[in-house]
Amino acid sequence: MFAMVAGIFMLLDATFLGFMQLLVYAGAIMVLYLFVIMLINPRDETLPDEGGTSEKAFAAGVSLLVFALLTFGISNSDLVTEMTTPGGIPALAEVPATHGAIEAFGYELFSKHLLVFEVASILILVGIIGAVHIAMKQKPASADEEDSNEERLVTDV
Amino acid sequence: MFSLPALLYLSALLFSIGIYGVLARRNILVVLMSLELMLNAVNIALVGFGRVHALSTTSGEHGGQIFTLMVLAVAAAEAAIGLSLLLLIWRRWKTIDLRELCRLSG
Repeated sequence: MFAMVAGIFMLLDATFLGFMQLLVYAGAIMVLYLFVIMLINPRDETLPDEGGTSEKAFAAGVSLLVFALLTFGISNSDLVTEMTTPGGIPALAEVPATHGAIEAFGYELFSKHLLVFEVASILILVGIIGAVHIAMKQKPASADEEDSNEERLVTDV
Repeated sequence: MFSLPALLYLSALLFSIGIYGVLARRNILVVLMSLELMLNAVNIALVGFGRVHALSTTSGEHGGQIFTLMVLAVAAAEAAIGLSLLLLIWRRWKTIDLRELCRLSG
C-alpha cells in the first residue's frame, strides 16, 4: 500500500518524494514494525479479542460519516472545481523536467523552507532520544538490541 | 493523468479506513498502522494540491511536497515513539490490548 502511494507521488511529478516514501515506509517503518512483532512474538491467546458488533458499527458509522462529509466537501467546493481541469491535471509547461526532482526540491527546501527543515530535524532528534529512552530496559546491559532498531529507523530518515 | 477530485476522493477513502481501524481495533499494532494510513491519506491530498498549485506559479513551487516531507518526518518519529511505548507496555503487562490499558482511569 505504501508502495502504491509512492507510485502516485511519482506520477504526480514528485519523484524525490516518491523515493523518500518508499525508503521511509517500506524500508524503515515496516521493518520496525516487523522487528517489534518479532520481539513481542504475539500468539493467538495473547492477541486481543476484537470488539463486538456494536463497537464495530460505531466505528463504521463514524468513518462513514467522515467519508460522507469529506466527499460532500470535495464535490461542492468552489476551489476544487476551479482547480479542476478536464482531462486530468495538465503537464507542467514552465518547468517540465526538474519539478519534483531532487535538485529543484532541495534548492527550495534549503533556501525558502529552511525553518521547516530545521524543525523536522529537531523533531526527529527528539524522537530518537525519546524512543531510545522509552525502550531502554531498566538494566542497561541488555538494552542494546532495541536501541539499534530505533536508531536504524531514524538514520534512514 | 490524475484529476484532482479523484485524488481527493482517494485521500478521503484512505482517511476513513484509517479512522475505522483506529476506532474498531483493539490491537495497538493495528491502531498504529491505521494512524500511518491516515497520515498517508493526507500526504496524497497535499501532493495533489501542491501539483496543481505548481501550475499557477512560474517557478514551479514545491510547497506541498515540502509539507509532505515534514509529515513523513512526523510519521517516522511517531512510529518510533509509538512502537517503543508498545515494547514498554508489552514488557510490563504482557498485553497489546488497548482495553486492558484503562488502568489509568482509577
